[in-house]
Amino acid sequence: MAVIPLNTHDHQPIRLCRSEIVSITEIAWETFVLRLKEPALSQNAHPGQFVEIRVPRCADILWRRPFSIHDADGEAETIDILFHAVGRGTEALKHLQVGDVLDLLGPLGNSFHIDDHLTEAIIVAGGLGIAPFKLFLRKTRQRNVPTTLFYGVGKKEQLCRLDDFQPSAQVRVSSVDGSVGSRGMVTDLLIEHLRTVPDMERKCLFVCGPTPMLRKVQEIAAQFQIKAQVSVETIMACGFGVCVGCAVPMRFPDPGKKEYFLACKEGPVFNMEEIIIHD
Amino acid sequence: MIDMSVKIGPLRLQNPIMTASGTFGYAEEFKDIIPLNQLGAVITKTVTVEPRPGNPPRRIVELNNGMLNSIGLPNVGVEQFIIEKLYFLQSLKTTVIVNVAGKTGDGFVECVRRLEDVDGIAGYELNYSCPNVKEGGLSFSSNAATAAQVTRAVRRVAKRPLIVKLTPNVTSISEIGLACQENGADAVSAINTLVGMAVNVKTRRPKLATITGGYSGPAIKPIALAKVYELVSKLTIPVIAIGGIATVEDVLEFLITGASAVQLGTVNFYDPGASVRIIDELHAYCIQHQLGSLSEIIATLNISR
Ligand SMILES: Cc1cc2nc3c(=O)[nH]c(=O)nc-3n(C[C@H](O)[C@H](O)[C@H](O)COP(=O)(O)OP(=O)(O)OC[C@H]3O[C@@H](n4cnc5c(N)ncnc54)[C@H](O)[C@@H]3O)c2cc1C
Ligand SMILES: Cc1cc2nc3c(=O)[nH]c(=O)nc-3n(C[C@H](O)[C@H](O)[C@H](O)COP(=O)(O)O)c2cc1C
Ligand code: FES
Repeated sequence: MAVIPLNTHDHQPIRLCRSEIVSITEIAWETFVLRLKEPALSQNAHPGQFVEIRVPRCADILWRRPFSIHDADGEAETIDILFHAVGRGTEALKHLQVGDVLDLLGPLGNSFHIDDHLTEAIIVAGGLGIAPFKLFLRKTRQRNVPTTLFYGVGKKEQLCRLDDFQPSAQVRVSSVDGSVGSRGMVTDLLIEHLRTVPDMERKCLFVCGPTPMLRKVQEIAAQFQIKAQVSVETIMACGFGVCVGCAVPMRFPDPGKKEYFLACKEGPVFNMEEIIIHD
Repeated sequence: MIDMSVKIGPLRLQNPIMTASGTFGYAEEFKDIIPLNQLGAVITKTVTVEPRPGNPPRRIVELNNGMLNSIGLPNVGVEQFIIEKLYFLQSLKTTVIVNVAGKTGDGFVECVRRLEDVDGIAGYELNYSCPNVKEGGLSFSSNAATAAQVTRAVRRVAKRPLIVKLTPNVTSISEIGLACQENGADAVSAINTLVGMAVNVKTRRPKLATITGGYSGPAIKPIALAKVYELVSKLTIPVIAIGGIATVEDVLEFLITGASAVQLGTVNFYDPGASVRIIDELHAYCIQHQLGSLSEIIATLNISR
């Protein structure tokens, strides 16, 4: 199976921006959409790319926080960030007000490569792993690429509104406790689907979610001989390739020379078969 | 016109704000973010003779007001550095200093010798904090004899100015500094990171894959100030201050203490505009206090009682 050349955006300028908050909405349990006025970024963001946000008024929080670009609306000149409040930084972000100005760095990283000849783009999203796929669906819709979304959550309260996604994709939901969609893991839905569809050559998985899910999808992709692109999350101190902290082990290293990718620069999107997924 | 320039031995910088090794890549990463030519100097990430892949993850940990790292000096090796990274650095008008390390003293010499052949480099900074394989992994500045020997050997091949970067993880940093001074160093820079550690109490595992790592960021500034004070008290060559600098006040503290210039490190990760903003603020400070040049403030620490 040939490896897909991934999109790089090395020539796209990275900018420090001051972006005003247009709205902040709780859309699921402790999960918020932050809409920012961003004339430049809204035009040139690619699905899978991310931004680094400085948490305002929290002098003791050292690093910026990385977030996928959830959506970008060139006409309204806004970008959306979808985030879950998990710790100090995201707790502070959820209390921001409309009109507050954020210090933001972006666009960062590479993006999903959507081949026009795909007969099906299959998204596998677990929890907040749904974040990059709203912008992704804009692109598949524009380019008429049939898209299926498998979206797994823990329980119903965590599910982000589906009307955002339904017009552009076939959506299948699962939850661990069965409170919404089918009970179980999103990867069970994926296996079921792959058993029924032919033509793996012209399909591709697009994956984002927690580590155990990624490991499982890696196995499934190998078993069904289907290509898979994954967006990984690592700890990041900078987000633009200078701290070299965001190492992702390569499956096929050049020992003693190059054994790691940089998630922020060479990723966050990788061909699944090229990396070792670890905690 | 205020004279913001500073002299570091044979080097003259347009201002005292430099960027620290390993926190500024090869400068190109910042090209769209800040006007690089305004910087006093850029110091590259450490270059070694052979390529290095770096340490396994997890390599970084965020702490209150500081961070730990165990990156492991990944770099493409000096030959690839010259092919891939130097071209951009040569296009800069600001001073470029290449930070060099080796597994042995010979590694330092070989790396510097190779760099002597190429243009666009103003000087070298020797990273003595890296492990010396010949001495069981102790750093090159853990004893004065080794520091003296390596400095002398590099001095013999280096026509360009030589800065030795010192580790604070020693009993007496000035003893090592003096050994470098006596053996031909044009300046010293201090401090490199402090040895530190963090534990995940849930898993009872160390947070870094290498167990211990280097501590940096605003939290280490008081320690850096004390080390710089010790060095300027004992040495006659210039001292470049590094450690937790994030604001113009921090810069002033070090200059008043006697540093000839400063390097910004960890701050570049979370506030990449800091370096040029601080240059502007330092300029504004000079205007406000009617200083004609920065020499009116350097080494003006008042310790009279
Ligand atoms: C490229 C990238 C894109 C991301 N996109 C999104 C997104 O669209 N929406 C979203 O909600 N989150 C996203 N994340 C994760 C997000 O950055 C973290 O949740 C956030 O940094 C936590 O900050 P905090 O101060 O609230 O938590 P902290 O107090 O710093 O930590 C709380 C918990 O979160 C874990 N954590 C912290 N940082 C990360 C990280 N970078 N990756 C994984 N776990 C982490 C910590 O280990 C800890 O257990 C992304 C991360 C990366 C690297
Ligand atoms: C992630 C990281 C990588 C570093 N890499 C290097 C390096 O390659 N060579 C070097 O001499 N110092 C390196 N340093 C040390 C810094 O240059 C600096 O001496 C130290 O971080 C203290 O300054 P600070 O508190 O301003 O960061 C590194 C520091 C950090 C945080
Ligand atoms: S996060 Fe700093 S290099 Fe990737």
